[in-house]
Amino acid sequence: MSEKCSAANKGIFCAAVRANKQLGQRFYRLGLEFSGAGAEVFANFKPGQFVELDVSGTALPPAEAIPEDLVDVSGRKVLLRRPFSFCDVTAKKNKTFVEILYCVVGPATLRMTTLAAGDSVSIIGPLGNGFWVPESKKRALLVVGGMGAGPLEHLAKVFTADYPDMEVIAFAGAKTVKELPFEARLDEISQQLGFSLGEFAKYGIESLVATDDGSAGFAGLVTDCLSEWLGKSDLAGENMIIYGCGPEQMLAQVAEIAKDKKIDCQVSMERMMACGIGVCQSCAVECRVAGSNETVYKLCCEDGPVFESREVVF
Amino acid sequence: MNKDVDISVDFVGIRLSNPVLTASGTSGYADELADFMDVNSLGGFITKSITLKPRKGNATPRIVETDSGMLNAIGWANIGLDAFVEEKLPVLEKLSCAVFVNIAGETIDEYVAVAQRLADEKAIAGFELNVSCPNVEKGGISFGTDPTQVTEITSAVKKVSGEKILMVKLAPAVTDISVIARAAVEAGANALSLINTFTAMVVDIETRRPVLANKTGGLSGPAIKPIAVYLVNKVYNEVAKGSGIPVLGMGGIRTASDAIEFIIAGASAVAVGTANFIEPGCAIKIIEGIKKYCARKEIANIKELVGSLEVS
Ligand SMILES: Cc1cc2nc3c(=O)[nH]c(=O)nc-3n(C[C@H](O)[C@H](O)[C@H](O)COP(=O)(O)OP(=O)(O)OC[C@H]3O[C@@H](n4cnc5c(N)ncnc54)[C@H](O)[C@@H]3O)c2cc1C
Ligand SMILES: Cc1cc2nc3c(=O)[nH]c(=O)nc-3n(C[C@H](O)[C@H](O)[C@H](O)COP(=O)(O)O)c2cc1C
Ligand code: FES
Repeated sequence: MSEKCSAANKGIFCAAVRANKQLGQRFYRLGLEFSGAGAEVFANFKPGQFVELDVSGTALPPAEAIPEDLVDVSGRKVLLRRPFSFCDVTAKKNKTFVEILYCVVGPATLRMTTLAAGDSVSIIGPLGNGFWVPESKKRALLVVGGMGAGPLEHLAKVFTADYPDMEVIAFAGAKTVKELPFEARLDEISQQLGFSLGEFAKYGIESLVATDDGSAGFAGLVTDCLSEWLGKSDLAGENMIIYGCGPEQMLAQVAEIAKDKKIDCQVSMERMMACGIGVCQSCAVECRVAGSNETVYKLCCEDGPVFESREVVF
Repeated sequence: MNKDVDISVDFVGIRLSNPVLTASGTSGYADELADFMDVNSLGGFITKSITLKPRKGNATPRIVETDSGMLNAIGWANIGLDAFVEEKLPVLEKLSCAVFVNIAGETIDEYVAVAQRLADEKAIAGFELNVSCPNVEKGGISFGTDPTQVTEITSAVKKVSGEKILMVKLAPAVTDISVIARAAVEAGANALSLINTFTAMVVDIETRRPVLANKTGGLSGPAIKPIAVYLVNKVYNEVAKGSGIPVLGMGGIRTASDAIEFIIAGASAVAVGTANFIEPGCAIKIIEGIKKYCARKEIANIKELVGSLEVS
């Protein structure tokens, strides 16, 4: 993973649904199973890469299960595939198991909630470039905003397996505790530091929680939590690396902090995507050209979704 | 069962192995699709719009989904003529299917310059003039809605395009599409392609702003298919049939049945656009489906199907 890792052998695959578990009001974990060629291809799926899921033929939930704010959009026919990252990948002999952590925000994700064991879904992937680990880093800081948890949870797993000497700390933020995409119950989320989020604790990774309303952990933005923490850190910036995934505003602030503290930083960007495979040009991300004032548009799906934060014009 | 069916098409003297192409801007420069299909199995391939100079394109969001369709406002983001010749042409040269280069520009001179540079390239079967793009400030659709300008641009490009097929791509939202089609044909176009997208808008009611950074975008996908079929039929009846000019039909094609509708309405060949995003490689399934249909209907040559709409 020290090299930028791009998708090899991408294609259209069929995945079998194994589970679709609700966590809190709006979050679900969708468990999928690949066999055959898909098992092989997705065994090498890197944290931060993504797939395009086709749920256009998936049924809507019954009317009473549709959140009020989504009633109007729920009837919209889904045409395009939707991009998702994996939060977990487990390769076994001849089978690869993956999980998608998703939030219900519109017609496609609403339909996803009705997927059940025994169903199958069409998936294009693996797509894009995932996170990578430069040499000489001793400490990795994972900064999660809301739905950004998925790829960083996967990254945490890879760190534990392949980088035993790396010190890893996760920072997770949301507006309020109910909007944290984790399984932990309120009473389990510590008000302070500690092994609070099960998803990271299972890899032995400490996590700090920040909520805008102070309903759990640090009261304020996750980026303020990060800043404060870095203020007390003893390690030189060049020995650390920040990985960010979440809303763009958060990523912009993470990029500022990283620049300020001279810490390498990679961010996973999101764009509306029509194809995910580099043919439609819909997913432009404005990037600086090193050594000039010029900017270019790179493609989130092909050149990203993970970019070095210093490159991105927020 | 299919061996007696001939679905190859004579398209202005060029033999297409079948009537299915991929539409401009929806399949890149062909190499991107290699993981999903054998591009050589297509009847032909149409590149993204090429402009004289590279273009960055519009700010994001550039797309938004709508009911059975999508809006795009890419803004001709492309690598420009020089990089196209250097980087993409060598890839296209290796293709055995017919390759069409879609040309766009802000001025007539820009169209001419691109056509002139490419006129001797053996890899290219023809040009598709994009005079119908709704997503740029200058050029594009402003040419394609005015018959006088269509005449000017078509005849200017015709002068420099040598033996290449010259196809003009028509905008759908005009008072009478046949007037524009006729202008193109009289100025030297030897094929017509239609339709490009419809200018459209989606409003975010929370912010009261258009969702697209460009404010408006072009509507494509299944939502536009019945209008596209109608316009193809109209242009076929009123212009193409009489002048023996083939029509390349497109707009919302996802399945073989969709494609066959266009062919019956008068298209000699069809192009698949938005559907490539959902199922890259669906063009191959469409080709198979057309063969099966012909076999079932005992159509020995697809020519019999073109414009075979019964209205009596
Ligand atoms: C590379 C990548 C990885 C992603 N990984 C995950 C993931 O692991 N889990 C997850 O829950 N979501 C993820 N997303 C976001 C996910 O694709 C969208 O939430 C989904 O497409 C919404 O579809 P919908 O039909 O339910 O809602 P829509 O009606 O399409 O969207 C609902 C709202 O979300 C916004 N939105 C939708 N898609 C995007 C996008 N791509 N970027 C920014 N805003 C968007 C829309 O503007 C709209 O306001 C990822 C997106 C990208 C680009
Ligand atoms: C994302 C996108 C980009 C497009 N880019 C171009 C382009 O560069 N030049 C062009 O002539 N048409 C372009 N088109 C129009 C298509 O070639 C086609 O005419 C139109 O989308 C209708 O077909 P469809 O409904 O099958 O997509 C584009 C369409 C889409 C959706
Ligand atoms: S989503 Fe189509 S090019 Fe990136």
